[in-house]
Parts: sequence; C-alpha cells; structure tokens
Amino acid sequence: MDLRVPSGWFFTVLGLILMGMGLFAPETRAALTTANVNLFCGIGMLVFGLFLLLMAWRAIRLEKGSNP
Amino acid sequence: MKLAPVDYVILAMYFAFVLGIGWRLRKHISSSGDFLTSGRSVPVWITSLAFIAANLGAVEVIGMAASGAKYGIMTCQFYWLGAIPAMLFMGIFMMPFYYGSKARSVPEYLKMRFDEKTRAFNAFSFAVMTILASGISMYALGLLLKLVLGWSFTVSVLASAAIVLAYTFLGGLTSAIYNEVLQFFLIVVGFAPLSILAVVKAGGWQGIVARLPPNMTHAWRYMGSPTENPMGVEIFSMVAGLGFVLSFGYWCTNFLVVQRAMAADSMSAARRTPLIGTLPKMFLPFVVIMPGIAALVLSRMNLGYAIPLKPAGGPDYDQVLTTLMAQFYPAGMLGVGLTGLMASFMSGMAGNVTAFNTVFTYDIYQSYIRPGAPDRHYLTVGRVTTVAGVLLSVGAAYIATRYNNLMDLLQLVFGVVNAPLFATFLLGMFWKRATAHGAFAGLSIGTAAAILTLSTTVAEGKGGWIANLHTFPSQMAQNFWIAIIAFTTCLVISIVVSVFTPPRTDKDMEGLVYGLTKVPHDATAKWYQRPAPLTVIVVIVLLILNIWFR
Repeated sequence: MDLRVPSGWFFTVLGLILMGMGLFAPETRAALTTANVNLFCGIGMLVFGLFLLLMAWRAIRLEKGSNP
Repeated sequence: MKLAPVDYVILAMYFAFVLGIGWRLRKHISSSGDFLTSGRSVPVWITSLAFIAANLGAVEVIGMAASGAKYGIMTCQFYWLGAIPAMLFMGIFMMPFYYGSKARSVPEYLKMRFDEKTRAFNAFSFAVMTILASGISMYALGLLLKLVLGWSFTVSVLASAAIVLAYTFLGGLTSAIYNEVLQFFLIVVGFAPLSILAVVKAGGWQGIVARLPPNMTHAWRYMGSPTENPMGVEIFSMVAGLGFVLSFGYWCTNFLVVQRAMAADSMSAARRTPLIGTLPKMFLPFVVIMPGIAALVLSRMNLGYAIPLKPAGGPDYDQVLTTLMAQFYPAGMLGVGLTGLMASFMSGMAGNVTAFNTVFTYDIYQSYIRPGAPDRHYLTVGRVTTVAGVLLSVGAAYIATRYNNLMDLLQLVFGVVNAPLFATFLLGMFWKRATAHGAFAGLSIGTAAAILTLSTTVAEGKGGWIANLHTFPSQMAQNFWIAIIAFTTCLVISIVVSVFTPPRTDKDMEGLVYGLTKVPHDATAKWYQRPAPLTVIVVIVLLILNIWFR
C-alpha cells in the first residue's frame, strides 16, 4: 500500500470540509481572531492532500514506464 | 469549549481512516517478524516521520506547550541541544550495529554483544516503563478531555485504547508506523495554524520579545547561572546532563524509537531514518512550544485571555494548548485541532504498545518462558501481548487517577533506568574489550548510584528520603545531575570490571562492535542520501536556529 494515497484522500476531504465551512458559514469565527480560519486552513489542507495524491500518481506512472 | 457537529464528523473521519489503514495492512501479516518488526520493509520517508511521531505523544505535546509558557524559548533545548545531536549520532555511528547485528530489539542486541543477564535487566525494565508511559499518556488525555469537553474519563480512555488496539492488532508494527505518519501530518496541520494565529496576535516575534522578560526569549544567554534562567539549571548540567546523557540515552537506546529505524528496508535507509527525522524535528518547537510562549504574552495583553488556574491555585499550564484552541479555532478547525491532539496520543500509545509486544515476545517469552516453538506460536503470542499491553495500560491509567503523583514517579523511574544505559551501549559498540560482567556490573551499580543520588538530594521539596546532602535549585537540575552521576558511575565500573574479566574473541563479536563491523558503502546512493552530507546540512540549519534564538 502506498501511504500517500490514503493520507492524500484524508487531507483532500478534510480540506473540502473546512473550505465548505469557510465559504458557506463564514460567520463561524473564534473569539481572538478576525480571520476566516476555516477557509485558509481548508485551502492549505486541500493543496497538501492533492500534492500527496499527485506524488502517488507520479510513482505509479514511473513504475509503469520502467516495466512495460 | 463546545464542539459542533462538523467537529465530530472530522474526528469520526480520522478514526475511520486509521482503522481503514490497519484493515488494509492485515493481509501482510504471515509471520511474527511481519507483525513485530515489519519484516524490515518500510520506505525511509515513512520510518523517518514515524521515528519522530512515536515520541510525540499527548504528554509531550501538552507538556511542550506548557513548558513554553513556563520556561519560554529555553524549552527548545530539549530539541536543539537534546534530540538533534543524539539522533545524528544514532544514525551515523550506532545504526550500523543495530541493523547489522540482525537483532530484533534493543535488549536482543545487548544479549548478542554481552550476555543474558544484561538483556534481562533491560527487557524487564523497558517493558514496565512502556506500560507505565502509555498508561500515563492515556490518563493525561482522559483528564484533559474531561476538563475541556466534559467527556467521561472512562469513555475517552476506553474508546481511544480500543482504536489503537484495533489497528495495531490488525496490521502490527507496519500499521502502527503507517498511522504514525498520518498522525504526524495531523499534529502539524492541527497545531501549526494555532501557533501562527497566536504569534501574530501577540505582535509577532518582536511583540513577544517586547512583552516578556529577556530570559524567556533567549535560549542560551542566561544559562550561566541557575538563578537567572527560568529552568534553574546551569550550562554544564544542561549540556552534559540533558544534551549528552539523557538525550543520547533516550534517542540511541530506547527501543520505542530505535524500532522504527530497524523497520527500514536497508542498512542505508535505517541510517538515514534518524538523520532525515532531524529536519522536521528541529522545526517542531515552532509548532508545539511557540503556542505556549504566545499564550503567556496574550494573557498579559488584556484580551480577555488568561492561563487557567488549578483548583488549588497557581497556573495550570497543561491547559494552555486547549484553551488557546478555543480562542483561535472556529467550529471546523477546532475539530482538526482536537483530532491532532487525539492523533498525538495515539501515535505515542501505539509506539509504546508495539515496542512492548516485541520486547515481551522475543526477549521475555521466547527467551525465558517458551523457547524453540514454531513461529506461528510467537505470532499468536505477539497478538495476545498486544491486547495485554493495552489492557495493562488502561489499568495504569486508572492507577494514575488514584495516585496523582504517579507522573512524578514515572519521570524519576525514567531518569534512574535510562541514565546509565547509554554508557553501556557506548562501551559495547565502540570498545571491543568491554565484557559481559563489566556491562552488567556497570549497569546495576550505575542504576544504584542514580537511586542513591535521588535519595540524598532535594529539589523543590522532592527526593532526599535518606539524607539531604545537597539542595538543587530546580527538579530539572536534579534530573540532569542524577543522569551525569549515573552515567559516569556506569562508565567507570564497566571499564574497571571489563579489564579484570576475560574478553570475548573477536570472531564472536563480528557485526556487533566498532572495528569488527563492515559498514557497507552504498555506491548507488546519491550525494544527498549519504549520511555525511545530510549531517552537514542538518548541523548548519541547527546552528542558524541557535544563533537566531541565542
């Protein structure tokens, strides 16, 4: 099992949930900050998740290329 | 703090993923080796992150933020002076013997190099310590969840233990290691935004420096005298006690972390495991310690944030991390932060459980209870031990609820047992004249010396049961000095006894000791995969960090 696949999916889904919160419930804020924490953290996690998936996909392609 | 439905969804999704990973890996288990040592087949980036994640339990995460608020940036010494040099030493000098000896555990290496009695000493003390450590960690988590969220102690302890048990039972060490990587990502993702938000709110690093006394924002400058720095230690005991004896003792001989490197798929990967691990490790203070420092600043800024108090009075620093989360994370991100805390607890506990079952199965059961059985039998024993280890940890967690100074006791036991051990390994690996009797005498008298020091000195009202010959300015200073004395005693006694006892032949020690072990040169490795260039890079970055925060 390539660990990048499950971790990639985990952070992609997590990122989407948080972005959803940030976009559709932007009034959910914490006491000490005015930033839309959910939106920014969600974007960050989505990017990280997609990066892991991309790396896993690249590894599969390289493997296929070397053993045709 | 109150959780919203979305927070529970995130927590549930995390549980589903860790269990899913365990379920997927269950098919890989066909021998005791697969279950207990991963069959030496895990890729190096995974072992590296697992190496640092196994140490990053709930007690460490909560404790580091607490120490940040209590001692300031000096807490980083646990990483920069303590862990990093020890991890480098382990990768460069010690891993060739661990991996090359084909030992399956640290006690087994001691048996190969010395003899049965040293192994037994190490195996039994290690088994007891891991159970206590995982019980304490469970207790700390249960207590915090009860305090912050009002969850039932029993439910959170049993539920989290059941999940750890499920995935380690299914996929063994591989499952524990794979999940530790996911957990490591979650710890960083869950706490790094908190650190950034809190530091920004506190006015950035400049704002922190301006609002705190200078000895809280300098890691080195106030180390000259114990009365000037918040930890109450002086530079010699800091460098020799923490930087050398305790850290090298922990990172180089504790099977909990060594096991992760041993699971790597080649000698070269095993050596690189701790080396690569240092790169994320040295930046972890910014994630786990910085929120504590920022919290202290915020509590002095009239923002309505205060560090919680203990029922008996005095600040309760252990709640810094969670109260800060409640202030900065909205519903959603709060779930991620809490999941990060849960993840840190699970990675620490799974680390303890997988180290415990290996040491018990190979070093206690196979050695003293039933040797020579078919491998299938040991696989079953390994599985049963996993269940037993979790149950014993739960028991230890409940004992901790009745005796609340168990935590202090554990730290003392750790100090007493771990401190002399590094001398034994140092001599074992680098001096072929060291003998079995020498090692055992050194280890037992070194441990006795540690106990004696503890019972004749006092710090913050603790210790000194026999007499009070010396009073230390802080418990930290006492710990460091106990370590220095135990190490020196063990070293001297081992050398003296070794000289007067017959040595082993060189042929018996091939692959076990320096000078009789060929370290294979990996010709296919690229320059950045070789230990030396990797170490140089780490040292340069480390120096920059230390100069920056001097």
